[in-house]
Amino acid sequence: MSPRHHLDEATVLSFAAGALSPEMAAVAATHMEICELCRDHLSDAERVGGALLGQQQPVAADTARGARLREAMLDLLDEEIEACPVEAYGPSTDALTADCLPRPLHPYFGRSWRALRWRWMAPGVHMIRAARGSGDTLILLKIAPGKSMPMHSHQGTELTQILQGAYNDALGHYAPGDVADLGNEIEHQPITAPGVPCVCVAALDAPLRFPGWLARKLQPLVGL
Amino acid sequence: MSSSDPQVRGADYWSAQMAAVALRRDRDCFMRIYDHFAPRVRLYLKGLGSPEAVAEELAQEALLRLWQRAGLYDATCSNLSTWLFRIARNLHIDRVRREPRWVPMDDEPGWLDKDDGSGFSSAESHADQVDLQHRIERLPAVQARLIRMSYFEAKSHQEIADELGMPLGTVKSSLRRAFQRLQLGVRGQA
Repeated sequence: MSPRHHLDEATVLSFAAGALSPEMAAVAATHMEICELCRDHLSDAERVGGALLGQQQPVAADTARGARLREAMLDLLDEEIEACPVEAYGPSTDALTADCLPRPLHPYFGRSWRALRWRWMAPGVHMIRAARGSGDTLILLKIAPGKSMPMHSHQGTELTQILQGAYNDALGHYAPGDVADLGNEIEHQPITAPGVPCVCVAALDAPLRFPGWLARKLQPLVGL
Repeated sequence: MSSSDPQVRGADYWSAQMAAVALRRDRDCFMRIYDHFAPRVRLYLKGLGSPEAVAEELAQEALLRLWQRAGLYDATCSNLSTWLFRIARNLHIDRVRREPRWVPMDDEPGWLDKDDGSGFSSAESHADQVDLQHRIERLPAVQARLIRMSYFEAKSHQEIADELGMPLGTVKSSLRRAFQRLQLGVRGQA
């Protein structure tokens, strides 16, 4: 699977800096698990972080305190160190089955597709909203095939990764693995592709804005 | 400045120190790394919002992790300051913000290079590192400010936009341009 729609480099940079909300980071990580290009960008952005760390110019601080910390470190080196267990990178060996959700989503939605408890939102639209959260919203959406979503724009950022199925909008065709990294200048009307339902995970940092009568009806239902 | 000035010691110097730690548990080499980087890691963590005592504790832990995991270090594929940045950032996310984190932000050295045979290697020469430093120093003022707010204050695009009274789209495009400028250095494509 080689995605054709990628994360904005500004998003990757903020991910590397630890500056994304956990919800945005969960979607970005879901994309990066399967996208080599964005992982390369992440690697570059972390190297920038390393260079910035090296460029820090600490002022000569409390030298007595610094000396105590240094002594403490020397003591720690003497202790017999148990080798830390290191988690190997790569496809997870446990339960990488068809039923397994992407790992970055486990803290929010559990591990199993089958165990998901979808809530009906509107005809052809089901949703699960992650319970935990920092203020941003993280949702799983399942939209029936061949369905047109209301035209909407965003006050902030919407980060959406396609997990199954596909949709089309003015920006292109979004298939599994593709991410839509949209700012507030974008107004779009996704239409799901025929065949299977389109399942995606989306992080939002501000409520969606739906223009039009349908959307005004839908908005309170969806509760976004 | 003479080349023995620690301020101008480059990536290859620190890689060599770390290689000695990996090879023979060399305490002197480790303490040279400690003396140089511990104050920088403390400063970084304080910038992210940790109180002094927490920053000190996490910086100790970050440095100790280098010692414990020295055997994993491969000087040919990872820069020491990049590894340390990753460890410190992850400690901050785990301990201070207590957020879930995933393997895609692993803090092993060079972890990005292990999972495929794409031919991409993050190997970087001393010259690349110096080039990146220069590129950072030459960033236009606004881009430099946004980069600092991202890396040293962990501010989101929206928080930066609010604080500087800048449209969100401008924050994103400026960060994108800054990254592309720096990337030329990282990738050695210039």
